[in-house]
Amino acid sequence: MKEKERDVIVETVSRVMIPFIQLFALYVIIHGSGGPGGGFQGGVVFASSFILFVIAFDILGGRKRFPESINTTLSSIGLYIYAGIGLLAIIFSRGMAQYLNYGFIPFTSHFQENRALGMDFVEMGIGITVMAIIASIFFDLAQKNE
Amino acid sequence: MGKEIKKFRIITICLIIIICTLFIYIADDIPNFGDPNAPPIKFVEILRVELNQESDLLDQNKIPYQLLSELTNRGFPIPVRIEKSSEYKDEWNGFIIKEEPHYEKEEKYYFIKKEDSFLKVYRYAFVVRWIEKGLKETAVPNMVTYGLADYRGYDTLGETTVIFTAGVSVILLLRRKSRL
Repeated sequence: MKEKERDVIVETVSRVMIPFIQLFALYVIIHGSGGPGGGFQGGVVFASSFILFVIAFDILGGRKRFPESINTTLSSIGLYIYAGIGLLAIIFSRGMAQYLNYGFIPFTSHFQENRALGMDFVEMGIGITVMAIIASIFFDLAQKNE
Repeated sequence: MGKEIKKFRIITICLIIIICTLFIYIADDIPNFGDPNAPPIKFVEILRVELNQESDLLDQNKIPYQLLSELTNRGFPIPVRIEKSSEYKDEWNGFIIKEEPHYEKEEKYYFIKKEDSFLKVYRYAFVVRWIEKGLKETAVPNMVTYGLADYRGYDTLGETTVIFTAGVSVILLLRRKSRL
């Protein structure tokens, strides 16, 4: 395979941009309950930072920074967080079987605040899964030549 | 072969014509676009009762007997309280008791309206509660988020599972030679 040409401008700009894109993605996920955004959007924005890295540098470096084992683990961990929060709600509702009713999980003393916090954790789970899956699909499609 | 296709063509055209006429027949009942009182947005009509002196009773916050028996016959929950609507004349809200832990037991359920010589009874759509009570119930100001993650939590769990399944199937299709 031909050696890739290095472009100083693209590499420098993406080196500056990538941390801010990831910070913005975390902001979108955390502020999902207060403003526009949420887990799906934040996860996709986070995955786009990996895509930018692979486009600007090379795919092997991208894989080294986000290894396959971690990627596969994260993609299921997000879903486990979501389902686990629902399971916690079942346990703490003591026989009422309120699956995914976050109000029963005792984060704070207020039922409504518990619901808001439960929603935040759920959004984080969604964000992790979406980020890992989008990155996984992208790496799989880009790595086909090898 | 050619004859069979011709036969199917005629059948298909007949079917399309029948479906089109059905749609035209139904189109009268479709609510207008952007109508604030459309069934999925505001309420669905359940029944209508002939009007005698019911509206006076309703104004005194009492439930007329005829209305009550009519609702019981059809298996609807019984209203416990009637309140006059604050916005319009000749409109009332009916409240029922619901079994929900941690929240007010009363919920706005019926909408009663006087029109000509009839008393029309509607049932509120779920969206009304979603809009009016969502902030109080979940302490989250974003209507979309509490809908997505709380009221429709099961739906979002399924969506996340769909995305996970898509990722796993891409791994299985494209990464056959290496280990998972």
